Amino acid sequence: MQYLPCGIYHEYYQQDHAWWQTRFVIGKMILLGIFIFYILPFWGGLYWVGVATLTIYTIMGALGVQLLIGYCGQVTLGHAAFIAVGAYTATLLTLQLHLPYLLSMFIGGLVAGLWSVLFGLPSAKVKGFYLIMTSLAAQFVTVDFILTQYVSQIGGRGQAFSLPPGSITIGPLVLDSDLKVYFLGAVLTILLTMGLANLLRSKVGRAWIAIRDNDIAAETMGINIITYKLMAFFVAGFIGGIAGAFWVSTLAALSPEHFQWFWSLWLVGVILIGGVGSIYGTIFGSLFMVLIMEGLKFIIIPLTPVYPALTMKFLFLKEATFGLAICLFLIYEPNGLAYRWWQIKNYFNLWPFSY
Amino acid sequence: MPSDHFGPIMLKVNDVSMFFGKVAALSGVSLDVREGEIHSIIGPNGAGKTVLLNCINGLYHPQKGEISFKEQDITKIKTYHRAELGISRTFQKIELFRGMTVLDNIRLGRHIHLKSGILSGFIYLGKTAKEEIKTREFIEEEIIDLLEIESIRNKTVGMLPYGLQKRVELGRALALNPKLLLLDEPLAGLNLEEVEDMARFILDISQEKRWKVTCILVEHDMGVVMDISDRISVLSFGNKITTGTPSEVQNNAQVIEAYLGEEDLYATRR
Repeated sequence: MQYLPCGIYHEYYQQDHAWWQTRFVIGKMILLGIFIFYILPFWGGLYWVGVATLTIYTIMGALGVQLLIGYCGQVTLGHAAFIAVGAYTATLLTLQLHLPYLLSMFIGGLVAGLWSVLFGLPSAKVKGFYLIMTSLAAQFVTVDFILTQYVSQIGGRGQAFSLPPGSITIGPLVLDSDLKVYFLGAVLTILLTMGLANLLRSKVGRAWIAIRDNDIAAETMGINIITYKLMAFFVAGFIGGIAGAFWVSTLAALSPEHFQWFWSLWLVGVILIGGVGSIYGTIFGSLFMVLIMEGLKFIIIPLTPVYPALTMKFLFLKEATFGLAICLFLIYEPNGLAYRWWQIKNYFNLWPFSY
Repeated sequence: MPSDHFGPIMLKVNDVSMFFGKVAALSGVSLDVREGEIHSIIGPNGAGKTVLLNCINGLYHPQKGEISFKEQDITKIKTYHRAELGISRTFQKIELFRGMTVLDNIRLGRHIHLKSGILSGFIYLGKTAKEEIKTREFIEEEIIDLLEIESIRNKTVGMLPYGLQKRVELGRALALNPKLLLLDEPLAGLNLEEVEDMARFILDISQEKRWKVTCILVEHDMGVVMDISDRISVLSFGNKITTGTPSEVQNNAQVIEAYLGEEDLYATRR
């Protein structure tokens, strides 16, 4: 249910279909825009720009997972593979063929989308746990086999592609500082998020949600289930590919280690914590995970003089925290942060009255 | 009402047999549904009524026999193609999209009439936005108004009471703008007032000039079936016993035998 403030009436369907329906909301969005594009980058300092860039990358990666798991009901545990395909395609096109970075990013997205469709084909026949197995196959076949054994050898650079400073450019603009990378990422994330949200309120998105909720009824309503599942895989892979191609711009060297299976699992954790089936959930989950991990650093670093072993064990601590966070969320807030956010908003709708 | 009052044959089921293992759910059932009529299918539990609907709808593929719709053989074609031809349905157990709002459920029924794809949906400008507004107009003016569900349009379907969910399901089936509507027990589990409303909606969509939808009705509530059907087919253990007008069927000795134990066909309600 959505409430509108007193005195606001919609006279056209157009108004009811708008994203931001009241001036208050538009005002909030403008403030958010000012925060993202002015306050954070210019007043926040390089550390927070770095954190924000990582968050942005997590959001872009998790969007595809959210689409597949949260909106189309196709559980995937191999999304890092498609991010990797995007990253490698974009890098190869930029380094070997000297294509412009944005173009190779786009092609990277397309290739990742098609690669994702290839591993989405089993979804025509299998559901649930069996589909998880095929997505695991996507992860290990793509990253651990094809990328590590073969693609990494292209150009004779050894295991990792080094990306010398200045190799990534947009027109005359060289992406050489954290700030520029951050701006690129912010623009891409906003475009992808809004695009996906738009998609979810039009024909294709509704068909995906219908397949998630009840595939038999969806078919009787005229939806070709297999085609639409594959479309979901394509869009998820495309978004993942763009995320990967963007991540390249933050790296000095690209190696398969950036796209290990744990990263796939991590992205699923992000949407579990943020809320399955919610775009807000993707954003909240990414923010939460990145900030928790940064917070962990703040706790661990002062302790290292006392317990030097902690420096070595940080990775384990990180994974343990990840697991603990997911467990706590599944027990105490299975609907994720997005649901909490919705509750808070509802509370303030009527505040200070109780009903 | 004489049966030749209706138009040409719309759906022809010819000698359809369907087996699950060795159990014959349908054995050699033939019937024809004429344009504009309300054709009820009745029979005791397990007679194969829902199986027959599933065969017409394409969820099951009969091992023997043909089904043709408007003189086109549809026995082999997929469910979603049949939806595009104009066959829509509701389910015995409610099969709504529980996580979506009422409006979105009905919008989904418009699926085959919409044209936007991945790219145009992603951008959501111009054509797609206009298309969505036109869809909304259609739904508000034709369906929500007809079914009197204005007050719940933005509610999530899973939270609605059973009777309203049934109504939303009918709305979703109607949004497809069907030529043939399969109603699988639309009255099951409703209270008397809801039954009367639902019967009124079925008559509306069958007779109103705007709709004129041919309906196949599977139902146990004999009172309503006898009142609103134009013709009735009776199934028993997978065999068709007879087809006829309500009064013919009521006086048929075989039908009475099939329902033996329920001395009065009106036993379910009244």
